Amino acid sequence: MTVRTGTPTDTRTPRGVPRITRRRFLGTALGAGIGGAALASPLPEPLGATPADRVLRWGQSEADLGTADPHYAAATQDRVLVDLIFNGLLRFKPGDGSTFEPDLALEFPKPVVIAGKQVWTFKLRKGVLWHPSDKVPSYELTSEDVAYSLGKSADRARSAYSALYGGMTFHAPDPYTVSVVLDMAVSPNLFYPLVTNYAGGFIMSKRAVEAYGLDGVKTHPVGTGPFILRRYSPKEKVDLAPNPTYFRGRPKLDGIDYRYMADGFSRELGLRGGQLDGIAGTQDEAWVDKMQAVPKILVDIFGVGESTVLYFNQTIRPLSLKPVRQAIAYALNRDEFLALIGKKIAQKIYAPLAPFTIGALTEQEVTSKGLDYKTSLEKARALLAEAGMPGGFSVDLVTSELGIYKIHYESMQAQLSKIGITVRLRVVDHPSYHALIRKDANPIVIYVAFRPTADIYLRSFYHSASTVVTGAHPDTNFAHYAGVDDLIDRARVETSAVRQVELWKEAQIKILQDMAAYPVSYANQVYARASGLDYGHALKSVLALYPGIDETTQVRRG
Amino acid sequence: MTRYLVGRMLLAVPIFLGVVTIVFVVVRILPGDPAQVALGDYASRDAVEALRQRLGLDRPIPFQYGSYLAGLVRGDLGTSLITGAPVRDEIAHNLPYTLQLTVLAMIVGALIGVPVGVVNALTRNRLPDSIGRVLSLLGLSVPAYYLGILLILLFAIELRALPAVGAGDLTDLADSVRHLILPAGTLGLVMAAAVARFTRSTVLNTLGQDFVRTARAKGLPAPAVMARHTLRAALIPIVSLAGLWSIALIGDSVTTEIVFARPGLGSMMVGTMLQRDYTSLQSVMVVYTAFVVLINLATDVAYGFIDPRIRY
Repeated sequence: MTVRTGTPTDTRTPRGVPRITRRRFLGTALGAGIGGAALASPLPEPLGATPADRVLRWGQSEADLGTADPHYAAATQDRVLVDLIFNGLLRFKPGDGSTFEPDLALEFPKPVVIAGKQVWTFKLRKGVLWHPSDKVPSYELTSEDVAYSLGKSADRARSAYSALYGGMTFHAPDPYTVSVVLDMAVSPNLFYPLVTNYAGGFIMSKRAVEAYGLDGVKTHPVGTGPFILRRYSPKEKVDLAPNPTYFRGRPKLDGIDYRYMADGFSRELGLRGGQLDGIAGTQDEAWVDKMQAVPKILVDIFGVGESTVLYFNQTIRPLSLKPVRQAIAYALNRDEFLALIGKKIAQKIYAPLAPFTIGALTEQEVTSKGLDYKTSLEKARALLAEAGMPGGFSVDLVTSELGIYKIHYESMQAQLSKIGITVRLRVVDHPSYHALIRKDANPIVIYVAFRPTADIYLRSFYHSASTVVTGAHPDTNFAHYAGVDDLIDRARVETSAVRQVELWKEAQIKILQDMAAYPVSYANQVYARASGLDYGHALKSVLALYPGIDETTQVRRG
Repeated sequence: MTRYLVGRMLLAVPIFLGVVTIVFVVVRILPGDPAQVALGDYASRDAVEALRQRLGLDRPIPFQYGSYLAGLVRGDLGTSLITGAPVRDEIAHNLPYTLQLTVLAMIVGALIGVPVGVVNALTRNRLPDSIGRVLSLLGLSVPAYYLGILLILLFAIELRALPAVGAGDLTDLADSVRHLILPAGTLGLVMAAAVARFTRSTVLNTLGQDFVRTARAKGLPAPAVMARHTLRAALIPIVSLAGLWSIALIGDSVTTEIVFARPGLGSMMVGTMLQRDYTSLQSVMVVYTAFVVLINLATDVAYGFIDPRIRY
């Protein structure tokens, strides 16, 4: 750059080309700015046929779609989306996750034993059509699709839920019959959830998966459900259209504007401002009270609840000493934890399995055996003294920044300080927290989770094969516990539902006696909606972690 | 000029390379694992490992770095680790929203900031000046996201005059514009505060110059002195400030897009960070870097046209 003095007066260069003057430059720059902004405006798209007033406007948590492949969908925003698009052979009754009913299947199957193997045979509905897509025109669902889809769920390379389908093969003897053959017999309690509209039980189109490939189906889901994915706008929303050929009838809604809104306050403002009809809420009683006070806004609190449990790593001193773990249990107070969330949303739990899980110990069963570890600082101090640490000890832990985790860690920190245990906390973001606890970073892990069956829960958190880092199939056994492997394994192959429940209860008692984990509470789902939104069913519990939107849902405005 | 431009463009290459390298290293230092995030906490370690292999995350870091750089040279921004969609398409979808927001915010900032600054300068130490200075100080002190929330509460919740969130129905231009008013107004007001203060001091400084006194002495009316002589001379530092502020606006647009739940590069960046979507995050950062480099270059080039003393 050089600086010169003097002012140019010629408006043309010596070659006669018009010189760019300041005035011309500024005018051009201003014009370019305005023009650029206008051009930057997304171009209007052709008007669709859907009347906007019957399109549901939904604000879901999280910033974006993770995957619309139901066999990988695990985050809440993805579970909700695939629930709108896909079906299972069976389904949970809308609004009630404790009751099954046939979905793509005509009736419940009855197991038979053939050549030492258990066989479940499903008869399929006829005339169920797959959604049309740009690569695969609509066609009728057959047993070939179902066998293929369940086979995909069982394949480690094509599903996140493959471990649940081990020892199963899938057959299509005729176009409307599907057989599932199990090497080891299981009870309906364990089998039904695997073929229900949840996780690996969602049925995918064989032709669509083959046409789009595994990466393609993440954003091009082709299902048989009430809604069809019309368009995915990255980091913004998904537009869903009603399925006119849905086998239960065309949905009453004319579409769903499914928005990704990570910020809870923005969702709240959108609902209060009348731009959204329903939103994922905040698991906080103060928020519930605030929203319930807003005219024409309704708050729904429903299951399934996610359990909060503390796991003690038994390979790290001093937590390897049972009296120390028991001392911690006696020092903790469930009421103090509960006060952080509020009794409208959360309930205390005393057993490793939440009370709504088949096979869970009841509160009475736990307290009658003295395994509720009722708060007693005297007992806690005595147990610490017995372990040779009357003055307590220090422990370094990481906590997720996510409120539900952070408040539990901070409350535990305050409660344990009363018996001389110093907890030093480091806050990390949520993905980092999950990565760190799976590398054994925390001697005490707080984990919030829901699992659909007792077998899955106990196997994931208490079977030695699931031990983090060192297990044969590392999962979420943060306690490095190996005391109930036999009971879990025996329960899995027990075909008597009564005996199966007994084995699960026995396992839970042993876990509490060994104090491998301290159950705290479960917290229900919280959603808010405009009073004109009617889900079409009563709300008790929904495994997809949202209120459930289907062909009966409708919205009225004004 | 051409030589200067080529030189500046060549200088941008090591800047890009540095940013890409830093971002590449930083996102991999973070403990989160995209495969784990994609599958959720439900997935077993086996499933996570299988996905890591599919995504190529098990390959050596230098190999990943090399293939990413090679893709960039070819203009290939890669595919999202999470959705499998081309990152170029995701950026193309989100970029217009951010451009729309920042350009309109700059226009709002300039249209409010420059006149307020001039009025403040002309009424120095009198009531209008005091009011303007207090307001501009307030504007500079309030974070954009907080101002955005206040504006939403007033105009969207209380008055129900404007929408609170989203970018509107794209099939309806008027609706799209209605959705822009609050976010662009938020960013524009923050920028206007800075522009007003700077304009005031620059105009005051210019008013004391000899050539302004001469213009007055030869009998030019006050508006003409202001428009033809004072403002024109004061424009150079204001353009510098506008360049700097447009970079700051891009930063502020991140929080503004989140508060107003608007699509855009800011929302995309936050989303990719939360999902540990390495390739998307890297590419968004490259686009941001390109913006900063281009704006700086444009600002420098603009000097040559605005200030007759400067030639390249």
